[in-house]
Amino acid sequence: MPDPAAEPPVLFCLHLLGGSAETWDRVAERLAGRLRCVAIDLPGFGAAADLPGCGVAAMADHVAARIAALAPARWRLAGHSMGAKVALALARRAEDGAPDLAGFSGLVLVAGSPPSPEPMAEAARAAMIAWIDAGPDVRRAEADRFIRRNTGAPLAADAQARAVADVLRANPEAWKAWLGDGAREDWSCRIGVLRAPALVLSGTEDADLGPPAQVALTLPHLARGRHVTLPGAGHLLPIERPAAVADLIAGHAAEAPAAVDPGPPLPEAYRALIASERVNSRLREVLLARAAPDDPAHQPVALDPVALAILRAVLARVLPQAFDGGGRIDLAARIEARLARGGGDGWRFATLPPDAEAYARALATLDAAARERHGAPFLALDAAAQDGLLASVAAGSAAVETRDGLGAEGLKLWFEDLRADAVRTYLAHPAALARLGYGGIGAGGDDVDRMVGFTQVGIDAPEPWEPAATGERAR
Amino acid sequence: MNLDAMRRHAPDEAVDAVVIGTGAGGAPLLARLAAAGLRVVALEAGPNFEAARFGFDETLADEIYWTEERLSGGSTPEAFGGNNSGTGVGGSTLHWGAFTPRADRRDLRLHGESGMGLDWPIGHDELVPFYERVEAFIGVSGPQAYPWDPARRYPLPPVARNAPARVMAKACADLGLCATDAPAAVVSRDFPQEGGGTRHACIHCGYCHQGCRNGAKTSMDVTYLPLAVARGAEIRPDSRVHGLEQDRAGRITAVLYRRDGRDHRLRCGTVFLCAGAVETPRLLLHLGLANGSGQVGRNYMGHVATQVWGSFPGEMRMNRGYPSSLISEDMVRPGDADFAGGYLIQSLGVEPLTWGASVARGRGLWGAALRDYLDGYNHVAGIGINGETLPCDTNVLTLSDETDALGMRKAQVSFGYGRNEQSLNAHATRTLKALWEAAGASDIWVLERVAHTIGTCRMGRDGDEAVVTPFGQSFEVPNLWICDGSTFPSSLAANPALTIMALSLRSAEAFLGGLGRRPG
Repeated sequence: MPDPAAEPPVLFCLHLLGGSAETWDRVAERLAGRLRCVAIDLPGFGAAADLPGCGVAAMADHVAARIAALAPARWRLAGHSMGAKVALALARRAEDGAPDLAGFSGLVLVAGSPPSPEPMAEAARAAMIAWIDAGPDVRRAEADRFIRRNTGAPLAADAQARAVADVLRANPEAWKAWLGDGAREDWSCRIGVLRAPALVLSGTEDADLGPPAQVALTLPHLARGRHVTLPGAGHLLPIERPAAVADLIAGHAAEAPAAVDPGPPLPEAYRALIASERVNSRLREVLLARAAPDDPAHQPVALDPVALAILRAVLARVLPQAFDGGGRIDLAARIEARLARGGGDGWRFATLPPDAEAYARALATLDAAARERHGAPFLALDAAAQDGLLASVAAGSAAVETRDGLGAEGLKLWFEDLRADAVRTYLAHPAALARLGYGGIGAGGDDVDRMVGFTQVGIDAPEPWEPAATGERAR
Repeated sequence: MNLDAMRRHAPDEAVDAVVIGTGAGGAPLLARLAAAGLRVVALEAGPNFEAARFGFDETLADEIYWTEERLSGGSTPEAFGGNNSGTGVGGSTLHWGAFTPRADRRDLRLHGESGMGLDWPIGHDELVPFYERVEAFIGVSGPQAYPWDPARRYPLPPVARNAPARVMAKACADLGLCATDAPAAVVSRDFPQEGGGTRHACIHCGYCHQGCRNGAKTSMDVTYLPLAVARGAEIRPDSRVHGLEQDRAGRITAVLYRRDGRDHRLRCGTVFLCAGAVETPRLLLHLGLANGSGQVGRNYMGHVATQVWGSFPGEMRMNRGYPSSLISEDMVRPGDADFAGGYLIQSLGVEPLTWGASVARGRGLWGAALRDYLDGYNHVAGIGINGETLPCDTNVLTLSDETDALGMRKAQVSFGYGRNEQSLNAHATRTLKALWEAAGASDIWVLERVAHTIGTCRMGRDGDEAVVTPFGQSFEVPNLWICDGSTFPSSLAANPALTIMALSLRSAEAFLGGLGRRPG
């Protein structure tokens, strides 16, 4: 029996629209000895061009069968463009415990098509659907142009020829099925937030699926996603930059998964106060529960993962955390969990929809405003640009025309609600109370007949046990 | 509260009276009717809490707030929930601030005095004996001599002045304003509660608004409700009223409520509706009942409750101590007023989440500025007002098109300040800022805020213009009484709960004295 530990881990590789298993050849060569690449022809492409076209789920079935047949102990999954969307669907199945996908341990998304409908100009889509059925000369010329349009710099002649040949080899029905349906399928809620370590690669010259699209549409689905951009590269990264792609994949596979943020540490003295008899048991229990680390793969219910990521970005600007010892409270996940529970505060502004809907629509409007003002999604903006947008929201001047958006006045009221929600969530955390030097938690333990309360209530009269502030004010 | 030894009526047993709501309106009359030997059942929408289990935590305290959604509109939308609306056996008194000024005599005659607002159909002299009985029974702590009412005596010495009270006292002295220890329904020493056990003295924990754990703060579950239960009343928690059955003559014959997912029918002789100034009109509008005057839901009022905040060089730790331990009534009729009525001033200590949320909403801070300002919590103190709001046609409670889990339409409240409130607010803001400047505060800012729920079922002498009589009896449905803040014809400058309790006893005695008898 070969020692499984001595075998290089397997990397299943899925290709782009019009590609094939061969798209990965040069990456696989470069990875030899480090990872064993098993590139798979998706239905309708490469050696599987005889199969009819199909959607994401059927492609995933096809790949799952191949993985199950090989059944390596540990394996990773790489997807390029179209293949990335299939890889995301498979990762969700694996994380949900599909027995035929046991051993899944990481994801590589290369110029990936996102879980949501792929951003693509409708005219370009229509043209691609049209020429695939044209005569041989037109097909060859258009395929050649298709490959050229998707590279940052011209490919070497042989690489260009191989890529064009793959396109021409594709089953036109599969080509059209993907453009017409597969690329439009919305998997964002089904995929949710994946827990696996994930490497996201994008080329700066990739028009539709470059860095801003990856940041805005794919990374929100990855709890442990790392994004690397390749300057000057286009969409065909495994062909354009096989060495760089291989090295990044190998490095990612070798590195330890990023540690979970343990949250802000509780100062020792505050932890001791919480443990003391001055604090009642019920309060002690909830304070410690709130101090527990947030799940980086929090699955949103009231919002979609992209909206949750925008909310997280907004909250980083609204209430930036600066705890001694680092650590961050995931205010967005905690607020989203409350929205999902439906536990309100007893009222809402009459001009706003119910809370969860107001959040979803406000975040979508904010993103639309970012695209209108800066030509980029909110998540791809730098802090100053995000602050600028939020300032206009606060001022009630962030009007943007969208179908389900909130108007400027609605956004302003929502932003007021958001600020209050942020503070209430932040100050519920004992590390935040410790920063304030807040002693109220110590007003009395379980025995209500012998509660200590406060004997000092005057100015500059702290009781000996009361904590001192450690925040900005105390410095 | 402990209901173990409570008398329980059979499910199909008809009772003399059903009281809907166990807050400041329902509890005193429940006790009074039970003491008179009537068979009475109180239906409380919220749960029955064990006060010792309250957590000293602002998030855990959500359990005692009415968190079913209301829609708030108008030019000064009011916050509900923890701001003014409670749930559970004891109602909003579980979270109220226990600040218990009496109504000023002049406030009940505001129209006669100024030509604005509305006069109450009852005189101040009629209220005073009830005020005295309530204060003695619930244990109000206050100053030995009350500067604005020399005849008044409080049964208990004042609670300790916390840091905000101390800076306010000094500022008032500097500016020549009279201020004194606030009347507070918080027992400053161990207090033998009639009908219950001994209530321990206040321990200055500062959590009045999150539920008092040791009974030092007056809430109905440690005062009138134990007395009511001792006299034979039954309280049914988790019982949400959604219907009233009437006979052909229009008299109510039964109350319909849902408990544990099942509907129940409780036959009764009289109904006392004491669900507060939002749920009371909401139920009547839902049922289309007692609204021949068209006044149900009209003239909704919240108090002008602006606050001014500032930072002090010394440590305030304003979470400690009774939150509002100093009062001034000097501005109930300011000499330079360009408005009718006036306002009370109180010192303010507020727990961090409530305060921080106000900072985020009202001051509009965000970013590092927000975080850093929150860090200064221990150096912050506030001062605020409770100011007259005039009844106004455009301030109304209506039913929204959205429904709740019971299929009842949600309440929608439209409220906005008129010219009088704006002038009063401007005057108050100047006064508060001057006081905080005199106190040595820096970084002073103003928080616009609306407090309390008042109006919507006004009392009056004429059934064409009012929903209930001066005793709280419906003009149209003779065995329906309303007793809560909804019957106030005008807001008064005083915080409402003490007056609600006084009116509750008054209604009970009017009922027992013969007004409750079936006509004919």
